[in-house]
Order: sequence, then C-alpha cells, then structure tokens
Amino acid sequence: MIDTALVQGIIRILLVCIIITAAYIISTRNLLSLVSMYSLQSVTLVCLALALWVLESSPVLLAIAAVSLVSKAIVIPYFIATIQEKIRIRRDIEFHFLSPTTSLLFSMALMLVVYTVLSHILRDIPARDNLFFFGAVIGISLMLMGMMVMLSRKRAITKVLGFLSMENGVLLFGMFVTELPFIIEFLIIIDLIILVLLTTILTVGIDSTLEDYHKRLHRFRLVGGTEERP
Amino acid sequence: MILLGYIMAALAALAAIVLSSTHRRMNAACILHAALTVVLTVYVLLFQQVPVASFLIGSHFFFMDRLGLYEVLIASVIFTCAAVYAGGYVESLLSSKELDQGSLKLFYSSWTMLLLVLVLAFFCDNLALFWICAELTTILSALLVAILSARENIDAAIKYIFIASASMLFSFVGLIFLFETSRTVLGTGTLNWTALMQHASAFPAGMALAAFALVFMGFAAKSGIFPFHTWLPEAHAKAPSAVSAVLSAVLLNVGIYGILRVYAIVHQTTAAATIAPLLAVFGFFTVGIAAFSMLPQKNLKKLVAFSSVENMGLILIGIAVSTPLAIFWVLFHIMAHSLTKASLFFSAGILHRQYRSRLSTDADDEIRDVFRLQPLAAWGIIIGGLAITGMPLFPVFFSKLFILRELGQASMPALFLLLVLLFVIASALGYFVIAAFCRVTEAGASSDIVPYVTPLTMKIPLVLLIGLIIITGVVFTRGETAFFEGIVQELRF
Repeated sequence: MIDTALVQGIIRILLVCIIITAAYIISTRNLLSLVSMYSLQSVTLVCLALALWVLESSPVLLAIAAVSLVSKAIVIPYFIATIQEKIRIRRDIEFHFLSPTTSLLFSMALMLVVYTVLSHILRDIPARDNLFFFGAVIGISLMLMGMMVMLSRKRAITKVLGFLSMENGVLLFGMFVTELPFIIEFLIIIDLIILVLLTTILTVGIDSTLEDYHKRLHRFRLVGGTEERP
Repeated sequence: MILLGYIMAALAALAAIVLSSTHRRMNAACILHAALTVVLTVYVLLFQQVPVASFLIGSHFFFMDRLGLYEVLIASVIFTCAAVYAGGYVESLLSSKELDQGSLKLFYSSWTMLLLVLVLAFFCDNLALFWICAELTTILSALLVAILSARENIDAAIKYIFIASASMLFSFVGLIFLFETSRTVLGTGTLNWTALMQHASAFPAGMALAAFALVFMGFAAKSGIFPFHTWLPEAHAKAPSAVSAVLSAVLLNVGIYGILRVYAIVHQTTAAATIAPLLAVFGFFTVGIAAFSMLPQKNLKKLVAFSSVENMGLILIGIAVSTPLAIFWVLFHIMAHSLTKASLFFSAGILHRQYRSRLSTDADDEIRDVFRLQPLAAWGIIIGGLAITGMPLFPVFFSKLFILRELGQASMPALFLLLVLLFVIASALGYFVIAAFCRVTEAGASSDIVPYVTPLTMKIPLVLLIGLIIITGVVFTRGETAFFEGIVQELRF
C-alpha cells in the first residue's frame, strides 16, 4: 500500500500548485495562457481528488475526478478557446480598481484572514486533522481570488474564467470539508456547465468589440492589414 | 404523482412549442401550461392532505408543504397572466423588429422551462437541490432578459448572471457548512430541510451563524437585497415587460423563500439573537437605498424596479422581527407585492410600447397626453401605485400596517426611521406620476405621437390582476387565516 505520509505530502504540494495557478490567473494579461492555466488548475484539482481517494478510498471522489476531468479540463477550456478565436481578442489589459500587483498582495492578505476566520469557525468540528483544515483554507482562498479576477477585469470572457476559478475553489472546499452525495455534486457540475456555456455565448455579443475596433482604427487612421492584429 | 403531473404538463408544452410554427400556437401552449399549473396547485390545496406524502414526494429530494404550494400558486397565477400578456407584447416586439422571428422558440421554451424549474425549486426538500434549481432559474431568466439581443440587454443579463451566480457560490459553501454541522450532530450528514428542522436546536451557534451568513449572501443577491441589488434595476428595466413582471413578482420570491427556509432552521439555535439584528440592518439599508434612488428617477420601469427592492427590504425587516404575527404578514406581503408589482409592470409595458424612445431604455420616458392615448395603462399605474404604497382597500395596506406594528413593539426608533423612508418612497412615486401624467399637448398644437393600439391580450391580464388585488385587499376569509397560520407553524416561529 502507498505510504500515507507520502500521499499527504503530495496533497500539500498540489494545494500549493493550485494557489500558484490562481495567482497566475490574477496577474496574466494573455488570454490564451489564461485558459490553459485554468485547464491546468482543473487537472491539479483532479489529481487532488485522486490523491484523496487513495487516502480515503471513497468512490464519490473518483467520480468527481472523472467528471471534472472531462468537463473542466477538456470541454469548457476547449469551448472558451473556440469563442476566443471567434471574438479575436488575445489580450486583456484593462483592469478596474485593482492592478495585478495590488491584487496579488491583496489575495495574500485575504488568505491570512480566511485562515484566522476558519480556524475560529471550524473549532466546533471535532477531530479533523491539519491537512483538511489546510485544504479548506486553500479552497476558500481560491474562491476569493477568483472573485477578485471577476472584480478587477473588464472583459466578460475573463470574468467567466474568474467565475470558473471560484467554482473550483468551492469544489476543493467541499472535497476537503465533507462528502456530499454524488448525485448532488453531479447535478451541480451539469448546472455550471450550462451556466458557463450560456455566459460565454452571451460574451460573444458583448466582447466582440468589432465596432470598438473599427472606431479605434478610425481614430488612429490605422486602416490597414498589418495593424489588425492586436 | 402530483409532481409528475407538473413535469408532464411542462414537457407537453415544451414539445408543443418546439413543433409549432406560429407565434400564436407557442403562446397558447405557454398559457395552457401555466393555467394547468394553477389548476394542479388548487387541486392539491383543496383535495389533498398537506404536507402531501406519496411516491416521489415523500422521497429525500422533494416534498410539498403549505409554504411551497403557496409560492407555486403565486408563481403560476402570475405566469398565466404574463403569458397572456406576452401574446400581445411579443407581437408588437416582432412588428417593430426588436425581436427576431427566429428567437421566438427560444423565448417560449425558456419561459416554459423557467416555470417548471420554479415549481421544482419550491417543492425541493433537499436544500442543495433547491440551490441547483435556484441557479437554473437565474440562467433561464437571464436568457429571457438577453433575448432582445440589443447590446444593453446582454449587458444587463451578464451583470445579473455574474452577481447572482458568484454570490450563489458563497451560499453553496454555506450549505456545505450546514451539511457538516448536521453530520457532527446527527452522525450522518443531511441537507433535507425537514430533517434539519427537527434537529436544529442542537446545532452549535458558531457554525449556524457562519452557515446562515454565507447562505444569506447568495439568496440576498437573488432577491436584490442591499449590497447585491445593483443588477436588479438594470435587468428589470431592460427586459421585455412580460418578463419584467415575472422577474419581479416571482423570481425575487425565490431568494426570499430561501432566506426564510434557512432562517427557520437557525432561528431555533442561539445564533438567532445575532442574526435577527443583522437581517434588520440589511433590510433598512435596502429600503433606504431604494428610497433615495427612486427620488430622482425619470424612467418608469426603473422606478417600479426600485420599488421591488424596497419591498424586499421591507420583507427582510419583517423576517428579522420574527414574531409569529410578523411572519404571518410577511407571507401575506409576498403575495400582495407579487400581484401589485406584476400589474404595475403590465401597465408600464403598455406605456413603454406607446412612448418607447428609439435610443435606449435608459433614457427618460417622454410621457404626454397619457389619458387620451392610453387611459387603461394610466389608471393601471395610478391604482398600482396607490396599492404598492399601501393605501387602504389594497392588500399591501394590511401587511405594511402589521409589519410596522410588530416592528414598533420591538423598537420605536426603527419604526420611525422606516416610516420616513416609506414616506420618501410614496412621494417619489407620486411625484413621478403627477409630473408625467399632467404633461398635455396644447389643444392647437399638433402632436406627432401615433397612438399605439393596445391589443386585448394585454388589457385583459391587467384588468384581471387589478381585480385580484382589490379582492385580496377586501376579502379575508377564515380559511386564508388558517392557511397562513399553518405555514407559520410549519416554519416553527
């Protein structure tokens, strides 16, 4: 049998990886790498579910891993990438309120806050070891970081990615804190897929800044083939 | 079995919509579906033992209690009226090229699905399943807002989806907390409302508080409570008026229903002492923000939308008072608000068709000669406005009076503050109506406004709703009292 301590070590490493992907999503300006980073985050989540399965051997975790792999690591990123091709924006350089650096600092502060608050609340739940507490903290932090992406970006398509990353945080939190019945988890994932598909389609209407684009071209008198590329 | 009846009716309507080719038939399918839902609900209320126990319903996932049936009844009555109204309204959207012929099927099938999902949501025993249904209602209604495919509609719909869904994720975390709490207390985790209600008094206060705070965030966003209300005026003002009526009169109830259910659970723990003042603060902020946004408002639909925000705040204050009498009148206010608000949006829709500005729905309304051009809609706005501010003869009068009375017994300064805010709201509505309806073109001057011929299908539901409002305001039977008392008992207040 695999050593428990080893698995726990792996879980810790994976959790840190997840935070790194979230930080990258907050700070990057390149839309294509944003999508692949989200896909990587989902794969890490799948690995985490598998590692937890080794530890607890509950079949629900295996099912969650399978469903997430198909939906979050493959279908949704592929779909968003297709949409991005269609609306022809590759970079997202507009930020509301927060610049990437400030949001990174801010998210570190948030993690500390989450740590303090959760250690306060989860005190009532007896006998959960350190690792689970760590997982719960990372889950909520991931969620809040995703929310910051939603707040600080202007493009709707980036907001969708922020929402997805929030949702990964919820899944992570749920995985570590408790075991929900599988049917519920499954329905939630289906539900979110519909949500994301719809939002992304609507995004085409709003982010396809073609008129915007033409306006800009006219303003700078840059009508020409070479300047079309962003 | 009954639940299967609801589902079958919806599926039949959906099939009819997909197969039919004309607008008239699709509309008829929607009307029939909604009317069938009303009939089924009335049947259950009159002839079945409530809470209903039968196959599918006694299961872990669904149940029918009085509160659920009550909400379904309100929803289906509003949907029936709105579907009739949509017949004329959509026709006019089609003729003015604001809606593509191709989007019709999408419009009516999401309409039908929305009613089905709402019915399922109100019959969910499992809170996680309720969460899923509530999330689906957001998606479907956002689709109905975005159907006009104008850029500002998509803008409003996306804002709605983002705010509501992101907050709903927080409420899911809250449900996970609730699940874990029940697992530590009961041994096996459950999210069934009936089971949670039985054991709620044993829950630790800290966990209950955290769970409620998180759940509240999500449902507050769905019902337009203060910090999350920003999507509401946009979405309600830009949607087609038939959809606005449904959004305001039914979908806001989903959020309040969720808050009420979860509050009923935590009300039994010691955390209630902390939560109730918190709810009241949010309620006051909501009413306040609505009052001062209404005062300078020049757009009729936005004004009506802000009035919904105000009423949700009032309901929240009533829940915070949480005496049995306050809950009784909160329940009554939910119905009174739904009926009145739907009638207001129907009238506003007729006026919108008459005076629509070509530029944007944000623009000020240019209402003039209203009594000559649209007398029915004008009287609809006046009667609806009087009803929503709580004049006697109308149902809102009683619910406001008793909620205020209960609030006064809890705290006098709070009552005073609320009265001032309500006065501001009433004067904002009055000012708008007087200013807009007194604008008349001089007798000699030529008017370039072409009168909009309001089809009968838009007039009938309006008259019907106003009739219903007056009936519910004047007649209060013993059966009704017993029914509401039954709900209060079910919620254990």
